[in-house]
Amino acid sequence: MSDGIQRRDFLKVVGVGGAGAGLSGCSTQNVEKLIPYVVPPEEITPGVATWYATTCGECSAGCGVWVRTREGRAVKLEGNPAHPISQGAMCSVGHSSLQALYHPDRLSGPMRRSGDSFEPIGWDEAEALLAQQIQGAGGNAVLLHGHLGPAMEAAASQFMAAAGGSMVEFEALSAAPLREATRIAFGRDTVPIYDIESARMVVSFGADFLGGWISPVEHGRAFSSMSHADERGSKGKLVFVGPRLSLTGQNADEWVPIRPGSEAVVALAMASMISAAGGDAGPYASLLRSYDVAGAATQAGVSADAIEALARAFMSDGPSLAIGPGPEGNHEGATAAHLAVLVLNAVAGNVGRTIHVNGTSAVPAGSVADSVQAVRRAAGGVVMVHGANPLYSLPAGSGFAEAYASAGFRVSFAQTMDETAAAADLILPDRHALESWGDANPRDDTWSIQQPAMQPVPLYDSKQTGDVMISVGARMGADFGGAATFFEFLQGRWRDAHTTISGVPAFDEWWRAVLRTGVATSSVPRQAEATPLQAPDTALTFEPAAFSGDGDYYLNVYPSVRFGDGRFANRPWLQELPDPVSKIMWQSWVEMHPSVAEEMGLRNGHVVRVTSADGDVEAPVFTYPGIRPDVIALATGGGHTAYGQFADGYGVNAVSLLSGATEGPSGALIYAGQRVSVTPTGDWQRPATTEGSSDTHDRPIAPAVALSGLGQAEEHEEEGHGPLKELQLWGGFGPVETEGDDRAFPLPGISEYAPYDGGDATPRWAMAIDLDKCTGCSACVVACQAENNVAFVGEDEVLMGREMHWMRIERYYETVDAEHAGPVDIRHLPMLCQHCGNAPCEPVCPVYAAYHTPEGLNAQVYNRCVGTRYCANNCPYKVRVFNWYRYTAAIPEPLNWQFNPDVTVRDNGVMEKCTFCVQRIRDAQNLAAISGREIGDGEIIPACQQSCPAEAIVFGNIRDENARVSQVVQNERTYKVLDELINTQPAVSYLKKVTFHDVQAAEH
Amino acid sequence: MRIRLAVGAVIGAAVLGTVAFVQGTQQTDPEAAESTAASSSSPREQPIAFVHDVHAGQYAMDCQYCHFSAERSVDAGIPPVETCMGCHRVVLGSTETAQAEIAKVAEHYNAGRAIEWVRIYKVSDHVRFPHLRHVQADVDCTVCHGQVQEMGVITEVEQDLAMGWCVSCHRDPQYNARVECSVCHY
Repeated sequence: MSDGIQRRDFLKVVGVGGAGAGLSGCSTQNVEKLIPYVVPPEEITPGVATWYATTCGECSAGCGVWVRTREGRAVKLEGNPAHPISQGAMCSVGHSSLQALYHPDRLSGPMRRSGDSFEPIGWDEAEALLAQQIQGAGGNAVLLHGHLGPAMEAAASQFMAAAGGSMVEFEALSAAPLREATRIAFGRDTVPIYDIESARMVVSFGADFLGGWISPVEHGRAFSSMSHADERGSKGKLVFVGPRLSLTGQNADEWVPIRPGSEAVVALAMASMISAAGGDAGPYASLLRSYDVAGAATQAGVSADAIEALARAFMSDGPSLAIGPGPEGNHEGATAAHLAVLVLNAVAGNVGRTIHVNGTSAVPAGSVADSVQAVRRAAGGVVMVHGANPLYSLPAGSGFAEAYASAGFRVSFAQTMDETAAAADLILPDRHALESWGDANPRDDTWSIQQPAMQPVPLYDSKQTGDVMISVGARMGADFGGAATFFEFLQGRWRDAHTTISGVPAFDEWWRAVLRTGVATSSVPRQAEATPLQAPDTALTFEPAAFSGDGDYYLNVYPSVRFGDGRFANRPWLQELPDPVSKIMWQSWVEMHPSVAEEMGLRNGHVVRVTSADGDVEAPVFTYPGIRPDVIALATGGGHTAYGQFADGYGVNAVSLLSGATEGPSGALIYAGQRVSVTPTGDWQRPATTEGSSDTHDRPIAPAVALSGLGQAEEHEEEGHGPLKELQLWGGFGPVETEGDDRAFPLPGISEYAPYDGGDATPRWAMAIDLDKCTGCSACVVACQAENNVAFVGEDEVLMGREMHWMRIERYYETVDAEHAGPVDIRHLPMLCQHCGNAPCEPVCPVYAAYHTPEGLNAQVYNRCVGTRYCANNCPYKVRVFNWYRYTAAIPEPLNWQFNPDVTVRDNGVMEKCTFCVQRIRDAQNLAAISGREIGDGEIIPACQQSCPAEAIVFGNIRDENARVSQVVQNERTYKVLDELINTQPAVSYLKKVTFHDVQAAEH
Repeated sequence: MRIRLAVGAVIGAAVLGTVAFVQGTQQTDPEAAESTAASSSSPREQPIAFVHDVHAGQYAMDCQYCHFSAERSVDAGIPPVETCMGCHRVVLGSTETAQAEIAKVAEHYNAGRAIEWVRIYKVSDHVRFPHLRHVQADVDCTVCHGQVQEMGVITEVEQDLAMGWCVSCHRDPQYNARVECSVCHY
């Protein structure tokens, strides 16, 4: 840049005409107020985050979280490392909890029906009305509730006892068949605890345990620990047995694509082989003799060899573990299928090793059939609904709507309006989990406290349902052990329980410790117990389930990883999170095999009508090689009608295709029981997707290495890239002389604006991502969005390619065969700014907004950026995003209260991208400086790393050879994306995925 | 959500970067704030005529007695009303004016009402100014804030706190501070 005009001079000349209205540095034209506290809370220092330990209230897993609050507002959730369930990680749904807290559609206060609409009333009046209605109903009252913590459940139970009514747990995606099967098999009325980490060979019969089933964060951590190739070159294996690859299926090493409904026969055939080889089948021995591999293979539509090989591996490559099926496999024989899988585990000797039934796991296992029946019985009486939305999540054929309509008085405790609340007579808005007290007992040996992390959002006049119950209960003469508030009630229970939990006599001290750490664990560890099989007390048939209707395809309605049964669909972060499987946002889609689509002349986006005997929906096609050609799949969660601005009208409700029938022994809703036909409508809808290509086109983007090839690589090149090269004047790259460590690139003096001071004391921030651990769960994407004030933009903007995520998970199909059992290889690649040492974005910026810092960050200076977008055009990784409009300003109050005050909120016309969470780097540097010490390794944890259940991401100073990141990259699997083609020298190193099957040499 | 946006339809900065000191539960009613501002003679007038020259000058109180978090936080901290009352329960003022102003403080305290001070110093939203690093580097408060101990009413000092002025100090070998964009802009 020494010749002629300088880049900045050029801009100065250009700018003379049009840039009259620049901001002067420190304008104070507008009056802004500084409002200090009257009496300061002791724990709050302005500008310094205060953290509270609590329990995530989103699902029943009971993960421990830390809530980061600034000046009294919750701004970020992080995993609590001391918590035995989540172990410091989080899922995408957990992060989005903040958007439920600050949701603009939250109800402003209690309200009662007035004709077709609602009118606000005061809490006193509302509670008096409820008490009067319950007393008037004379005991004809029912409380339909979603998952409750133990204290809340006890309060509700005392409340309902005073009301003379009953309470029924409602959960559409219930684990009822699993609990019923566990009771039949072992005589234990619980859901088993899976110890995935201790297994070396896991077979999932369709359960999406990494997606959302039971405890995804805990499973994610255990799975990555089990399945990644360790230093000894040993790697655990996952085999997925099911008709459609869910997120869990995408992480499998092998796929046995069985016909829907045939899980039981396959599991029993495997068990039969193992039993014949000496496995103890107890009372099931004679049953197993009537199952063989050949018969199962015919019924499941896969080869006998495949099932036989699987059974052999299950025996020999142990410890083994069979899991599932999940709710998506709920067919008319769901309990039998679960029982068959439990028998398989028992025969293989897994009970007490990798699966435990001598403990309790708090998983919602309510019966849908019982729920509907209970509401039906309450005709003319009072029906109360808490934490559930059955009018949305049950199909019309379930009869719930009629039963609900026949109630005399309907009460909802919803936080925001939903389909069920909209049909209620009285709404008493509950508080959000971050505003209220509660507890969780995810395991019988783990107690987790939920404490308010902030004052309730003042825009909403909400009241915790526990307090409502105590207050209304008192009006009806109930006595909650003398507790006047739910907090007193809860603390009383903990006081009573504390000696058995802790063995510590002094309660107050222990209570303070619990509030600080968020969790208490039993001082007595659980003993492994090889619980024996019991003779079945229920007659079940294990034959493949029948599917009703006469369509050409089996219908598979599966729980959405993002929305669950639909309850999380009103959160824009989750709507705009690319689905981990399809990469589609804001829309619903119909999954079908590419060969089927081709036959019908369809491609992605063509709208089809899916018709079952009970209903039809229209949605665009998503061709997916990970689904059997005779199966059509849709996710739950779309197509809301009364769930607010971010949910209504987005996608379709797949539940409307279902019959509403429930499974016999367990009463669970049947999700897999129908055949459907597919008719093209002739329309086409552009998919809102981030999937550029599902094929790497043989580029070095996501290479893998075979397990057998580990340790046999030729002389390992430093950090996985070749010698440093630089662009030559005549084109192409030529070698460049370097001094010392090439990790120091760019070399001293190479950057014009920010001379590299080169001292050893200057860190070089770098990241390593282990693709053998990454499951593609996408928790990091939402964590990044929450931390960095990344705007959501809405479907229309996404359709124009304007999504703002700083991070995305790319997904590439390498080996997927839906018709034969065999290896499956789908690769997930978290892509974020690579902070290239030789960054293509930097030299093209006319205003030096993109530049390299001495610490190796590729920085983007927002106040310099003039929005030429040259940098994005020149970025080979497509990680830069541009604010086309004022996306952040368009985020409605109070959702924007969540913004992180440590990060600039970007306005339109500005380019942005991953900063390696520079605010956390600066924060650590500030703290280290004032206490006169160096920053330790692991002190700076970017949001993505913090959140990752798989521990796939490591960040640190790569110049410190003792830093974890430096040690992780010293691995033969290390490579850098595209580096050898374009010499970008990224600061992000990836570790190749390890496969059991051979991968082509061209794939590295 | 479908965001409807017209280019340039909304004017004004999306200022959410550094909303400091706003009490978690307390929201300023924009209308009330406006009317307060409109009713006073000048929008820059403070609700209580706090005299820095008496506190910091005459009594030589340390700045950090009131601005309590300057050495450990990015924010220096505006004293809670309780801090004022720590002395003013006893110190009731020697002049009539002082007595009236101190009475206002007590009034706020007794009513549990926060004092809404008018903000004088503010760097732009794309700038991060960590007080703690500057206090630690022994940069005197007066370098940026002027001779506060002589000011009856706080006004901005002459320098406009523009970047060139910041950088002039950062370049000073005495401080050995870093001069690169991402130190302050992120």
